[in-house]
Amino acid sequence: MGIQEQYRSEAAALLSSGEVKLVIGFGAGSTADRRRPLFARTPEEAQKFVLDAACIANLSTYLVAEGLLSDGKKVGVFLKPDGIRSVNILISEAQLKPEQVVILGYAIESGKDVAALEGRNISDFSIGEKIRKLTPPPHVIEAAEKIEAMSAEERFEYWKEEFSKCIKCYACRQVCPMCYCRRCIVDVNQPQWVSTSSHTLGNFEWNLVRAFHLAGRCASCGACDRACPVNIPLRLVNYRMGKEVRSAFDYVAGENSDQKPVLASFKQDDPETFIL
Amino acid sequence: MTRILLRNKLDDCIAAWQKAGFSVLAPVKRHEMSSFGEVRKADEMALDLVLTERTIKDQFFPQTEPLIKYKIGKHQIDSETMTPPEKKRVFFGVRPCDASGLAIDDPLFGWDYKDDYWFGRRENSVIVTIACSQADDFCMCTSVKLSPDSTKGADVMLRPLSDGSGWQVEAMSDRGTALVETISSLLQESSAEAAPVPQVAEKFDVEKVMEWLADKENFESQFWKDIALRCVGCGSCTFLCPTCHCFDIQDEGDTYQGIRRKNWDSCSFALFTMHTSGHNPRNTQSTRWRQRIMHKFNYYQGKFGVNSCTGCGRCTRQCPVDMGITETLQAITNLPR
Repeated sequence: MGIQEQYRSEAAALLSSGEVKLVIGFGAGSTADRRRPLFARTPEEAQKFVLDAACIANLSTYLVAEGLLSDGKKVGVFLKPDGIRSVNILISEAQLKPEQVVILGYAIESGKDVAALEGRNISDFSIGEKIRKLTPPPHVIEAAEKIEAMSAEERFEYWKEEFSKCIKCYACRQVCPMCYCRRCIVDVNQPQWVSTSSHTLGNFEWNLVRAFHLAGRCASCGACDRACPVNIPLRLVNYRMGKEVRSAFDYVAGENSDQKPVLASFKQDDPETFIL
Repeated sequence: MTRILLRNKLDDCIAAWQKAGFSVLAPVKRHEMSSFGEVRKADEMALDLVLTERTIKDQFFPQTEPLIKYKIGKHQIDSETMTPPEKKRVFFGVRPCDASGLAIDDPLFGWDYKDDYWFGRRENSVIVTIACSQADDFCMCTSVKLSPDSTKGADVMLRPLSDGSGWQVEAMSDRGTALVETISSLLQESSAEAAPVPQVAEKFDVEKVMEWLADKENFESQFWKDIALRCVGCGSCTFLCPTCHCFDIQDEGDTYQGIRRKNWDSCSFALFTMHTSGHNPRNTQSTRWRQRIMHKFNYYQGKFGVNSCTGCGRCTRQCPVDMGITETLQAITNLPR
């Protein structure tokens, strides 16, 4: 039995036993190479799940959808390591109760083979060390290094061009599991803290606000990057912020759910290089 | 015999239009994004794209637009209207769906008052449409009763020749006739055949959809809740749509002076309908998605006699969760009746 069939029957079993009220996975998409999020409430619907190397979205973003878990019931969800990492972060930030999430874990190996991950509860996934070694795909690192090699002026020009494309559709925010605020700061309009105008300055404001809010919280899933309809390489921003946090605090977000959020906790030996 | 324009005459064409006082805008790919941008040479044009990622709408209804400058004094308020630039522009290589979008939005911007910003630009622009020679999986113009060679919204219609060397030229409006006149010496008479138009399969039955939407019984249907479950509520589909036109007015500045701006807004956003009291009549994503579909295929039809969709397919093509109009309207077509 292939992993797809195995997970279909596991999802069906979770639903028929009543252990979970819903399983979030992938279904066929509008073209042969696309998969779309699929919500199954019955064992029959679970037979529509697809699991293959095209299932790249981070479905953990739905776990923080308003009202989804407020009834205390459990939800099953298909997650890759970056999704598991997101769940760890959400638990450490008190946005999820670990007992409400049943994980159908999988990994995509060398971009084509799908392997099952052992375990169903978040505590089963001892992937801390693995995550520490996880690096973004080579093309991301290559692009990041190219930008780091630029002079400050060149770098500013580069990001000015990129952010100028932004249309403030907020797709990056909406697909991000870490953007769970019920009212984002840019939607607070009494007063309007962040300009809604999508001119270069307004676009800088938005993208920098998001970058800072994700520092030490990004699971590097790349969802923002894939969602951006105007192709801004957003994950490079988050990659850089993650690197800063790692070098300053030896902290990699999402290693386990017992982590204390790095920017919301204090240690005696935290570097204080910013204090003159 | 028809008049044709050869590809190798495009540079001369641009020069002739510039000489006649026009800026020339065409599909371009810059910084990893395709959109309409000003060109000076033909090789800057990306004419082989199925569609640009950004629509031509942006050039008439920009994402942010200054309306007035104001200064609040002790005894008076001074304000200055910021009128849009009255630049003469040629849009070369517009796809039929995008050109249709402009024609669909015209009645909206001229309905309760004439929007000077929209019409100022419309009246100074000439739309040169190129019929499609390719379509992708997301194209659905035929489903909304348009076609890959629709002339709606076109001032000049170009039909690709089958050998790819150029286009048949047909003026569709007075503005188009005048534009063709400026390049008449570059055109030639030819009997060269136009390339066949690509087949775009009909994906849903728009009549059936409209009938279902018009039935008030269906407004509270479970269908809306199910179909919108995975919608993440971003504004990508609305901002990339060639007809979506909602905006918000914002004052930017300090206590004493500022600029009043017209900024794109989206019915996908929760804030779009939020009342000052905190009450939100569209408080779930499903009600917001329903609004988008109802607006396009029911309300707009009722008001202006046309659907507010050109079948460009950008909503699905760019959707982060693979949603869009096609899937929704297909599902409505197939609902048991």
